[in-house]
Amino acid sequence: MMDLDPRQYEHVIVNDSDVRNIVLSYLVHNCFNETAETFLACTGMKQPVDYLVDMDKRKSIFHFVLDGNALKAIELTEQLAPNLLEDDKDLHFDLLSLHFIDLVCSRKCTEALEFAQTELTPLGKLHKYVEKLEDLMALLAYEEPEKSPMFHLLSSDYRQNIADCLNRAILVSAYPNLPSYSSMERLIRQATVVRQFLHQELSKDGPPTFSLKAFLKN
Amino acid sequence: MGGVEDDEPPSKRVKASTEDLRSPFDNSSRSVPISPLGGSMARPLLSQGKDDMIGSKGVIKKVEFVRIITKALYSLGYERSGAALEEESGICLHSSVVNLFRKQVLDGNWNESVLTLHKIGLSDESILKSASFLILERKFFELLEKDRVMDALKTLRSEITPLGIDKKRVHELSSCVVSPQQRLLLGFANLGIETSNSRLKLLEDLQKLFPPTVMIPERRLEHLVEQALSVQREACYLHNSLDNSLSLYTDHHCGKDQIPSCTVQVLQAHHDEVWFLQFSNNGKYLASSSNDRSVIIWEVHEDGELSLKHMLTGHQKPVLMVAWSPDDFQLLTSGMEEAVRRWDVRTGDCIHVYEKGGLGLISCGWFPDGRQIFSGATDKSTCLWDLDGKEVESWKGQRTTRTSDMAVTKDGRWIISICRETAILLVDREAKLEKLIEEDQTITSFSLSGDDNFLLLNLVNQEIHLWSIKDDPVCVTRYRGHKRSRFLIRSCFGGYKQAFIASGSEDSQVYIWHRGTGDLIKALPGHSGAVNCVSWNPADPHMLASASDDHTIRIWGLNRAHLKCKEAYSNGVADQCNGKGQ
Repeated sequence: MMDLDPRQYEHVIVNDSDVRNIVLSYLVHNCFNETAETFLACTGMKQPVDYLVDMDKRKSIFHFVLDGNALKAIELTEQLAPNLLEDDKDLHFDLLSLHFIDLVCSRKCTEALEFAQTELTPLGKLHKYVEKLEDLMALLAYEEPEKSPMFHLLSSDYRQNIADCLNRAILVSAYPNLPSYSSMERLIRQATVVRQFLHQELSKDGPPTFSLKAFLKN
Repeated sequence: MGGVEDDEPPSKRVKASTEDLRSPFDNSSRSVPISPLGGSMARPLLSQGKDDMIGSKGVIKKVEFVRIITKALYSLGYERSGAALEEESGICLHSSVVNLFRKQVLDGNWNESVLTLHKIGLSDESILKSASFLILERKFFELLEKDRVMDALKTLRSEITPLGIDKKRVHELSSCVVSPQQRLLLGFANLGIETSNSRLKLLEDLQKLFPPTVMIPERRLEHLVEQALSVQREACYLHNSLDNSLSLYTDHHCGKDQIPSCTVQVLQAHHDEVWFLQFSNNGKYLASSSNDRSVIIWEVHEDGELSLKHMLTGHQKPVLMVAWSPDDFQLLTSGMEEAVRRWDVRTGDCIHVYEKGGLGLISCGWFPDGRQIFSGATDKSTCLWDLDGKEVESWKGQRTTRTSDMAVTKDGRWIISICRETAILLVDREAKLEKLIEEDQTITSFSLSGDDNFLLLNLVNQEIHLWSIKDDPVCVTRYRGHKRSRFLIRSCFGGYKQAFIASGSEDSQVYIWHRGTGDLIKALPGHSGAVNCVSWNPADPHMLASASDDHTIRIWGLNRAHLKCKEAYSNGVADQCNGKGQ
């Protein structure tokens, strides 16, 4: 429930074109190219051309990752944003791990083993990857990896997370001046942080922490 | 009607006569005396029939006894004897299933051994699983060694992981498949070279999992004997010999003959009263100081004889005490209200002289790190120096006597000194704690035990008190008997595990007490003047030295004649049992 006087909100003027930009940024960011095109047509906004071209490619990369086809995703990323993966070792490692996990899930043990030996263990020299590697290798021990303690590696949430990271990295490398998160996300984050700060400072007297769910229900 | 027939030949076994036995072969009357042949024949141990307890107390189970002996025979390598015993006694070391299991493990028939494992009859699921895990892990590593990587992986996935135990280990094994370095890390790199040895080790590890009735633990008999020897040693009141003199033939019991009580050497080199002496920490040297202003370093030879190594001159006054450096390479000596000197033991040269302007120093000692020394002065203060003579610290106490004793524990933490006539102060340098020992009588000298947990105080009323200082100080024992009225007499700890207390006395004797009970064991005459100080060799529990006003030092040892007798006896018995039988 909002503690603040509702009339205070009415004094804030929201510009309609700002709102449209926010929506467009969300659509573009998440590669909803058809929806974006339609939206642009309906609102009569000017379309930034290169956005759309890249959107197709980004979209396919995103979906390849979601499906667990990391090799294809890597190939396309190399085409779209060369040197990106070279510079971002963590991301590269995560994508390679995805491929390994995919092999394990498809019960292709021999291939998984070979892939691990050639691609992954050289990276094991870096200390920060050691624990991750141990978890990955441990998957080999289970005939049903879904039932192992590392089952979260096989979940779609995990893949989604990596897909998001990759998407953001591509956007950043292509448009270094623009933010890596969509405006919508940034706005929500802003509200959350500000409310949290106020809550800490004023405790009982201040507004409660921000919850998107509660906000939407209201 | 009663009693054994007198014409029975002595070689016939006498039936045991306790009422419990119901031997069907016993035709003679039950009231057979215990040793009808005058006690020279040993009582029979084993009974016939179905009785399964043996031994005079009836607490030993025959089956267990025989199995342990059988196991010991096999461990010693006497295969035929072991097999013969199994056959003759009818008691198997292992059931046939277990034997099969052992053979399969040693041969490397892993899958069969796991099957046999389940037939042994172990009820505890977790033991079965742990044992299977060990065996399959071994199989896994041997496959890896032979480079059969996919087979190893298959074993891991289909046989080891489903056991559902030790997930951490399972993950480690997984990484072994991928990288050879991991194998090294887990210590499995050299499997192939010592296969048979490592399979034996696997068997031992498995043995530890099983209940002892299934597989007798290794070296069980040896362990039992060692326990018995330990108990005997602990119970030995006057124990004063080194461990390897314990024999299995008789219960261990030291008599007073293990206490040094015979003068074996008289050292005459000082020209006046000898006031102080002390063995070095390694027991290879003895240092003595005298009213004749000299200090002598004696060398202790292999055969126990002492000879003069150096006579250290330089002090202008009588030398009150000496102190060995922790590494025994150097010696500190302090003159009476004079200076402290530091000497090199090997060459006999004086390396440094420590003086405190205007004051007379009366005692000296080392810090355990060997880099600092302390000294007490006539103005009741104590000084701390580093080796070069730079004064580090000095503090005032309340007490001064002819010798103001001070000691430092081996960890360098506690400093112990006489702070008042009747009190000793223990100061913890790190935690800034203090403990106090208070007596009713004046304390004349003290010494610290080797383990830093006890303090021995000499009091003016002819008593020696032992205090425990580990926690709150408490007086544990008192020793009496010696004489002290005018002079400073010192006492010391000594013997095996410092189980004895020795002291000098004004009646010219050396007194020795049992530390635990306070009983006076010996008073040794020989000197013709008051005995001022004693020191027990830390490396040889049979060597004691005493310093006297009669200008001599006496070295006390064991009674040689006694010893030779004992050795002859034990040698004779050993000869008869030597070597293997016909």
